[in-house]
Amino acid sequence: MMLNGKIALVTGARGGIGRAIVARFLKEGATVYAADLTPEGSLDQHDDDGSQFVKLDVTQEADAIAAMDHVRAEHGQLDILVNAAGIEIEKTVEETTLEEWNQSFAVNSTGTFLTSKYAIPLMREAAKSGNSASLINFGSYDGFIADPGLAAYCATKGAVHALTRAMACDHGPEGIRVNAICPGYIDTPMLQSFFNGDGSGAGGGNIETLQRAVRDVHPMRTYGTPTDIANLVNWLASDEARYASGQLWVLDGGLSAQVQQMKL
Amino acid sequence: MRLAGKRAFVTGGRQGIGRGIVEVFLTEGAEVITCGRGPAPSDLDAGWMSLDVSDPTAVAACAQGLGPLDIVVNNAGVQVEKTVVESSDDDWDLIMGVNAKGVFNVCRALIPQMRAGGSIINIGSISGKVADPSMALYNASKAFVHGLTRSIAVDHGPAVRCNAICPGWIETGMLDAGFDLAQDPEKAKRDALARHAVKRFGKPGDIAAMALWLASDESSFATGQLFTVDGGMTAASPLNPGLF
Repeated sequence: MMLNGKIALVTGARGGIGRAIVARFLKEGATVYAADLTPEGSLDQHDDDGSQFVKLDVTQEADAIAAMDHVRAEHGQLDILVNAAGIEIEKTVEETTLEEWNQSFAVNSTGTFLTSKYAIPLMREAAKSGNSASLINFGSYDGFIADPGLAAYCATKGAVHALTRAMACDHGPEGIRVNAICPGYIDTPMLQSFFNGDGSGAGGGNIETLQRAVRDVHPMRTYGTPTDIANLVNWLASDEARYASGQLWVLDGGLSAQVQQMKL
Repeated sequence: MRLAGKRAFVTGGRQGIGRGIVEVFLTEGAEVITCGRGPAPSDLDAGWMSLDVSDPTAVAACAQGLGPLDIVVNNAGVQVEKTVVESSDDDWDLIMGVNAKGVFNVCRALIPQMRAGGSIINIGSISGKVADPSMALYNASKAFVHGLTRSIAVDHGPAVRCNAICPGWIETGMLDAGFDLAQDPEKAKRDALARHAVKRFGKPGDIAAMALWLASDESSFATGQLFTVDGGMTAASPLNPGLF
């Protein structure tokens, strides 16, 4: 039990990756607040898993304050915050409306800022135990290199990367570690939307052919699962990672390690 | 004439990127000496020294005859298209000897005779940052060049600046050798072109243009950096653009 006795809050907790993180945290002995817009999140249904659902729209300051007040009232501290809420608009700059651009930043960047802003005082309390608190953001390998037709998404993730380093710098002395996980292709509703959506340009192509082709571009010949991400989130959340801070952790099956595949 | 009055030494100027750099430097008014294994090419206006940069004794002897320098370009390089498991000891000696030890040999011998404000330009590679398949020792040798570039900048500033250029896929014999690895070289070439934001491969002159700027006094605040010139290839995900 790597997280025994720790208090954790996960945003986007009912999405593909969020659910895997919540499940792992519970298994490791943490008390988990699962924050999302609805209990179902981006999936069709939700089975009670032992976490406590908190309604949280990460773009709303009042929601962030209320969520942290709730945690404060019940535990007085927060050991782990995971900012996993995110959206993806599959468009180029030219196609993206100002509203879509603002919404992308509101959820992915401002949401990370707001939730962190109101969590930090509670995390500072947790750090007084002598074990550091761990704040984990969701960047993306798209914050380093671009996928076509994801302009606003790429930009919001670049912002999260820089914010991660800034928060690590500012709050490290208070015992709060701040890291970002940068997933590559992970099998989630967001990825399937990308395969099916306008951004894919699949043009009626066979989705399975597309999926296999994407897998084959990876050195590991597969894309990741939410469990793969939860494995790293768990480590970063645990005291084993007590010296890890300010870093961007790319987890992509080796995709971005290569220039490209020559042997087609 | 952006390099008027400057003396430059460029390794590996017989062909490819090195040749492009020599020609641009000459056009911009520099006095240029280049080198390579074997005799001087007949159609080259620059000074020539027959030199294997992997041989430290030969490099030291060459330095004696070179005199004071303003610009040193470490361009000489070789590639062998193999994985780690396929690579022999001879492959290691060749690639690391020229690409890594060669840069060390030349910098160690020539830094003491560079004039104040001098500029060292190493040719690194995008392959030193992200891996080309079946180029294991080449990729590693270029990462060495990147590390050495920063060290020289830190240790030998302010007298000397040191930067590296990381070319992407430039139309040279080395690029063709890479495509020959593909099951279908023509298909691989079309696919590779599609990955370039500028929809073409680089030319030696594209790298020479960056080298010229780094050699000139316009770049006097630039040191210790890696400058990628790759037509936008490594800005994009390695996923095949044809998929989406």
